[in-house]
Parts: sequence; C-alpha cells; structure tokens
Amino acid sequence: MDKIALTGIGAVSPSGIGKRQLWANIKSGRSFIKEITRFDASRYPSHIAGQIDDLEKYSTFSERLLKKIDAFSHMALIASELALQDAGVDIKQEDPNLVGIFLGNAIGGWLYAETELRDMYIEGREGVSPYMASAWFPAAPQGQVSIYYGIKGFSKTVVADRASSLMALGYARKILAKGKLNLILSGGMEAPVSPYALLCCNTYGGLSSDNQHPQEAYRPFDKRRSGFVIGEGSGVVVMESIERAKSRNANILALISGYGTTCDGVDRINSAVDGKELARAIRIALEDARAGIDEIDYISLDGIALDIWDNSEVGAIREVFGSRSKDIPVSCPKSMFGNLLGASGVLDMIIAIQAMEHSLIPPTINLDEPSIAGLNYVSKEAREHRIKKALIISRGRGGINSALIIEKA
Amino acid sequence: MDTKSKLKEVLADLLKVKPEELKDDLSLQDSIGVDSTEMVESVIAIEKAFGVKLSPREITKSSSINDIEKVILSKA
Repeated sequence: MDKIALTGIGAVSPSGIGKRQLWANIKSGRSFIKEITRFDASRYPSHIAGQIDDLEKYSTFSERLLKKIDAFSHMALIASELALQDAGVDIKQEDPNLVGIFLGNAIGGWLYAETELRDMYIEGREGVSPYMASAWFPAAPQGQVSIYYGIKGFSKTVVADRASSLMALGYARKILAKGKLNLILSGGMEAPVSPYALLCCNTYGGLSSDNQHPQEAYRPFDKRRSGFVIGEGSGVVVMESIERAKSRNANILALISGYGTTCDGVDRINSAVDGKELARAIRIALEDARAGIDEIDYISLDGIALDIWDNSEVGAIREVFGSRSKDIPVSCPKSMFGNLLGASGVLDMIIAIQAMEHSLIPPTINLDEPSIAGLNYVSKEAREHRIKKALIISRGRGGINSALIIEKA
Repeated sequence: MDTKSKLKEVLADLLKVKPEELKDDLSLQDSIGVDSTEMVESVIAIEKAFGVKLSPREITKSSSINDIEKVILSKA
C-alpha cells in the first residue's frame, strides 16, 4: 500500500497546545500531571490527571457554537485548526467532497452529558438542553469539524478504546492510498476529566491512586508501577498523497508507511498475557511498510503501567525484534501528561514525528528500575538519536492491538 | 421593558448573538441562521420568560421577531 504524507500537526494536550509548546515540554521531561481542580475529585481513589486549563485562550470559536458542544469537540476543533494552519491548507479552496475526517474516541463527551443528566433528574425532561442529543456521542467531534469547515467527503469515527486514534490514522491512510479522497484530517480527542468519566475510569481498576505524588504516579514499565493516569486533549494531523503534497510544495513532516491491527480475543478487559497478537499486529505493520526489523530506530510504547499489559508489550517486542530489541530505543512520553485514552495514539505519533525531526528521543519519566530488563529504555532524560523509521504501539481494553509505522520523508 | 425588547434580550442571551442581529421583519433563519435545535431551545425559553404555552408550530424558523411578539401578545 502507498505511503501517505503527513503535512500538518495540531496538538492540544496537558503538556502544551500547539506542536512547538508540546515538544518543548516533552523534550525537557517535565510532568504535567496534577491534582484535578475542575471539580471536587478528592473522594475518588485516583484524583490526579493531565488537565487542560487554558483551552479558551487558544480558541477562536464563537460562544454560540461552544454552548452546543462538549469539551472533546472543542479540543478537536482547535487541533484541526492548528493542523490546517501548520499544513498551509486553505480548506475553502479544496473540493469538499474529496476531504474526509477520521477521528478516534473512546468514551464520548461526558462533561456535557452528565450535567444534562443531572438537570433531567432535578428539573425533569424540560431541564435538559436540546443540544444534549448531538453533543455527547463519540462521533460528535467529526460532525462539528465537518460543519465548521464544510467537509463533505467519506468520514469515520473509530471507537476502539485507547487504540481508537491510531486505528483512525491507519484507516485514513488506507482510504487515501486507494485514491478515494484528496485530504484527510485524522487523529482523535478525549475529555475524561469529568465526575462520571473519572468514576468509570476508576472502577475499571487501572488507575494509579498515588495521589500524594501526582508527577511520579504514572510510571510505565517501572517495578513500582501502580497503573496509569488519565489525561485530556486532542491530536489531529493533515494527511494527503505524497504527489499532492509535493505539487503544492508542502512541508512533508513524515510518512505513514505501515499499519497493522489484531485482537487478542481472550478477555473483556485485559490483554493476552503472551502478547502474541500484538506481535502479529507489529509484523503486519512492518510487512505493510516493507520494513525489516533492522530498520526501526525508535518504538513509542503504549505503556499503561499495569503488569499484564506492560509485560505482554515487552514480550511482543522481544518476539518480533529478537536480539535487536535490546538496541532499539523505546519510550513512553505519555508518562508526562497522562493517557489520553482514545486520543493517546495520535499524540504518540505526533511526538514521534517531532522526535524524528529533532533526532531526540523523549523519555519515559519515573522509570527508575524496569520490571523487565532487556529493552533499550530511554528514561528520565531525552537522548540524541537519529530516527528514520519509528513504530508506534497503541492498545485498547479487550485486547485490541494496533501498530503504526512512520518514516522520514 | 416592552415585549419586543424583552424577547430580543431573551433570544440574544440564549443563542449568544447580539440583540441587533435579531431583525424585526426578518425570519430567525434569515437573520441569524437559527437551526432546529436552537428553535427547540428558543420555544422553551420564551414559554418560561413570558409565562405562555406555545403549541409546536406556532413559532418556527420562518418566524420574525414581529411574528413572535404577536403570538406572545395574543396569549397575554
């Protein structure tokens, strides 16, 4: 399958809004995880998160629109605008029928939904905003972005838990490679820092409750790991064919060259212990990219800091890369800003693109002592390293495995 | 405050538009491009603000401020 060009990046994250601010904070290894202040979360077992406090500062959208949408749509709109600006694309000049949107989301827009549900139980059905019906569901951001830019082409929202956005990127690349569209906005968004969403994340049982030490709480692959920390945000990229990108003299930031996805098929929550299906997804992605195991220079890890997941991820990497697995630098930068669930994969890819551009591998923070030795962990500080090809791993509950390969243009 | 001024204030505040955008003789669709969900919200807000009960098709996207004022005054 053809490689596809990435020509614009829009990032909205707890570590920064806009790719430059995000990268400046990521390369410094600074944590942005803190106690939740949006509401009183003190009685939740885990009440820390990567929270975005200054979204409005970066927003150019009208109050009239914002009152109708949830925060996750707002984040996706800002990320889309940033991506289009970065790509130098004036969407009004595009054929709207040949522009698409492929976004991933895991849980929907609960900040809006739970407020309205509360009003329904207090005031009755007349107390519920009529926008509720169109604000909360996972495909709402796709709808809002399409309305805002007048996009009319084939589009899709992928709901595959934490693997959603990486899967959306893989799908978008397939559609572009088939020549069905000229341009796609792809990525994902998630806004889980709300009372009900946080409760659901807590009852899932995977969150770290090291509330006393927010910045040290998320420690993927470390012996003292205690689960992950949630974060909110959105990442959107502009994707187009290499020929088109070259013909308009666009700056090609990277290419998507391979994608693979598999299911473990063993448990409704946990991944398989052996990581065999994740290994198969990685192999499919490598084959798709026509890349050998010697060509991968960096692996961006899923790393949710739970034994079964981290161990099976290490197992899959060892199975695929064999003796090379001790040489390839690996890291999990989301340890700095939280796991953006359905938007985690695209943020990982955006960070990997920046790492490629700057020949600098961002660290996994809080990785003091690996629970399983044998991988080339980049921890605590960023490390200089040239990257031509990188593998990004993203996984979801129920054993969803996805692997994406990007390479330097 | 007269009915028309109050009506404009209620709708402007609700729909986050400027009161001057709501033209007396133009339909809500033509003046501010109101959508169907905004109409649902507007009808509920008008009922609350003026203490009237509106039947489903009394106020629509095609209604102007003058039309809505007439409906409210007819129920006063």
